[in-house]
Amino acid sequence: MDFAAFLVTQCLNALSQAALLFFLGVGLTLIFGIMRIVNFAHGAFFMLGAYVGYSSVAIAGNFWAALVLSPLLVGGFGIAFELGVLRLLYRRDHSAFLMVTFGLTLIMGEAIRLIWGVNALEVRAPPALSGIVFILDEPFPLYRLFLAAAGIVVAVAIWQFLERTRLGLLIRATSQNAEMVHALGTDVRLVRSAVFGIGCGLAGIGGVLAAPLVTASLAMAPTAVIDTFVIVIIGGMGSFLGSALGALLVAFVQVFGTYYFPDLALALMYLVMVMVLVIRPGGLLGKEA
Amino acid sequence: MATSVTRRAAMRASLVAVAAPAVLRHARGEAPIKIGMPLALTGPAAEIGEQMRHGAEFWAKTVNAKGGLLGRPIELHVEDTTGDPATCVRKAQLVVERDGCHLLFGMVLSSEALAVVPKLAEWNAIFVSSDNGDGRLTGSSFVPNFFRANISGPMETRVISLWLRRGEMKNFYAIGMDYAWGHNSIDVFKDEVAKAKKNFVGAVFSPIGTKDFSTYITKIRQAGADACFIVMQGADNNAFLSQAREYRLADKVQLVTSIVDLNSIHAVGDAALGLAGSTRYVFTIDNLANKAFVEAWRKEYGTEPDVFEGEQWQACQILQAGIEKAQSTDTDKLRAALETAAVDSIKGKAAIRACDHQAVQGGYMVKVVKKEGFKTPIPEIIAAYPGDEITPACRQMTFES
Repeated sequence: MDFAAFLVTQCLNALSQAALLFFLGVGLTLIFGIMRIVNFAHGAFFMLGAYVGYSSVAIAGNFWAALVLSPLLVGGFGIAFELGVLRLLYRRDHSAFLMVTFGLTLIMGEAIRLIWGVNALEVRAPPALSGIVFILDEPFPLYRLFLAAAGIVVAVAIWQFLERTRLGLLIRATSQNAEMVHALGTDVRLVRSAVFGIGCGLAGIGGVLAAPLVTASLAMAPTAVIDTFVIVIIGGMGSFLGSALGALLVAFVQVFGTYYFPDLALALMYLVMVMVLVIRPGGLLGKEA
Repeated sequence: MATSVTRRAAMRASLVAVAAPAVLRHARGEAPIKIGMPLALTGPAAEIGEQMRHGAEFWAKTVNAKGGLLGRPIELHVEDTTGDPATCVRKAQLVVERDGCHLLFGMVLSSEALAVVPKLAEWNAIFVSSDNGDGRLTGSSFVPNFFRANISGPMETRVISLWLRRGEMKNFYAIGMDYAWGHNSIDVFKDEVAKAKKNFVGAVFSPIGTKDFSTYITKIRQAGADACFIVMQGADNNAFLSQAREYRLADKVQLVTSIVDLNSIHAVGDAALGLAGSTRYVFTIDNLANKAFVEAWRKEYGTEPDVFEGEQWQACQILQAGIEKAQSTDTDKLRAALETAAVDSIKGKAAIRACDHQAVQGGYMVKVVKKEGFKTPIPEIIAAYPGDEITPACRQMTFES
């Protein structure tokens, strides 16, 4: 493998990895921006996405169906949870959210264990994407190219949604000054429900897309939630662009860092986080704390 | 295929196994043979704990349906240890003192078994291991009340080493999970490669919980080895195999793994194809006892028995042979009987040796292939080694040559 091929394939690896991280990070950051709560259950929604994806593939026999159904169902579940539980807690202290969302993680983990069992489950990439392409004579999986493309498409879509649509406008306004938006006659509670649902739905897409790479398993939630926090902290809590930047930075550092310093693989992500926090305590694009 | 595990389900299941069929009614009044089974039923080792429970329950049910052992019904007392050694000792003590079990199965992790064995004398209890791999249990940490019915870790590695001596592969690379097990196994492997007069070209370790293996796969490809030895389990193993398939790694490099089990094959499907490895038990072993066992198992569970289900079944056979020989469950009599217990079981001959209580038994090398009549790939035996070739000298963990 010559150096050019190495460089190109590693960059593509990093981009596909960044896409998965972005699906997680952007949801968490949107939720934080609007609700000022840290959703501890984000990893569990990601895991639920993978399991719902598994069942959708099993029932509909089609990965694309899973890609549509999973975010809808996971997002729907998120909205139901917001309406049924979180809504009762907005007047309370922030620690109530931490406790409740952490509790939800445990409950979802056990529920998934009861419904789908303890064994990891195979989710196959669709046949059209399970091939390889040769990039500078090196085989590269089509599915990873698809992931990178999906990340870019969704990022642009969310950006346009926030900038161009009325709901996007309301979301941005609510994140800046919820009371003012409320005073102007918009039901902020609905905006919150919508954002929580969208955030969870994005985690659900991430879960389906990650499943062919890691299988659907109970181990998905705990590691995902930590990665997500790191990305959001690096990018800046509540910043949409920040979460995209954080995902890219972490993915590139991870992919190249692991290659040159395999012994540091576990620490790399946190080293980046510490460096960013020393230079910009609010994250790359966050408001200064 | 989804089976749920909750503490309550575990308790209930242990009672199901006890429910005596009609044949047993005459035996009412006979004291049951109580066996304590502290198992990791939640936590990362739950998959294995679940298999061991199945294996033991199936045996208890089979024996009870025939009127029990020495006319006494088998009674299993299952407890969840979560895979934590301290909890495991507590739960083992509980089944001994509260339930009056002086026979123990279970202890999924070697760390749990190592914590329990020093207590066996005090509890006057015998523990028959069905899956603990750590060589020390029949070596430096040996106690007289411990018996290992299963293949040990050093024996598993020996099987792979004997296999690769024969093969044409010359250069070896290795990838392992970055903790004690990964490092130890790769050290042993490196040593075996050297003894086989072949080249070990390098190794890389991935942190536990790694999800993206693309960089590691790049490193393996660049190493230019003929084969890569994999020491991974659980979610990491599944992720690695799925991604190795994405990059068509197996086209270039023979993947050799320390563990081949049905659970991970089911989890990754075709990504497991071509994988070679040693296995402790596989349902494709060709002998009459195994055929009958697999048939009965299919009838009961609608699927093939997995590695630890088979291993547990063999451990049960060995305990049964000991109890029948001793005509008693008294600890001293049973210990003496078990020291020479031998069975012709699902893996062929397995005989406990008195010097370190290890069951000497054959080892199998398998390759994962597609077979007519099976939805997912299955392990096919490609080499078998007799017990005396793969069992280390008494109380030893390594091999002379």
